[in-house]
Amino acid sequence: MADSTPVDVPAAPATATHSVEQPLDLVRLSLDENVYVKLRGDRELRGKLHAFDQHLNMVLGDVEENITNVELHPETKEEVVTTATRRVDMLFVRGDGVILWYKPIGSSGATVV
Amino acid sequence: MADVATPKKTPTDFLNVILGQSVVVKLNSGIVYKGVLACLDGYMNIALEQTEEYANGQLKNKYGDAFIRGNNVLYISATE
Repeated sequence: MADSTPVDVPAAPATATHSVEQPLDLVRLSLDENVYVKLRGDRELRGKLHAFDQHLNMVLGDVEENITNVELHPETKEEVVTTATRRVDMLFVRGDGVILWYKPIGSSGATVV
Repeated sequence: MADVATPKKTPTDFLNVILGQSVVVKLNSGIVYKGVLACLDGYMNIALEQTEEYANGQLKNKYGDAFIRGNNVLYISATE
């Protein structure tokens, strides 16, 4: 079970915050806040985190989904990148689709380089 | 026979050693994350600080704190 993981964390390193001892604590601290989720299939979600579990199944509210599609032009061989956006009021996300999860810096979003 | 005298004999011991250090995490998709390893668990879920995302060697994104779901991890490597 997730409660008894084999990886034992001895003395917390100086860089770690006291409240974050398990990676999922990071998620727990962001309940009811806006989060970003990177999913398989070049999809990104952004919404308010209502609930999650140890599989990273999540319930997100007021969601914006960004779908990036990269196609190779058949003749010019150039990459054609298209993005589609849709909004969903409430969304259940199955955890196995999740690659990465992060909280935007500030409220506007992560710094995009 | 188990050799009790040999230190760092399991992968988990290595992971405990590199906690708090700068690491490179490569995912199955080929995307690379560099950052400070804040913590990890038995699923190899990873919490990274000062995370930088690289795709094809190019810096794509920076995150303060990031959580990587363990099933996507190809390797974790310690850096200087």
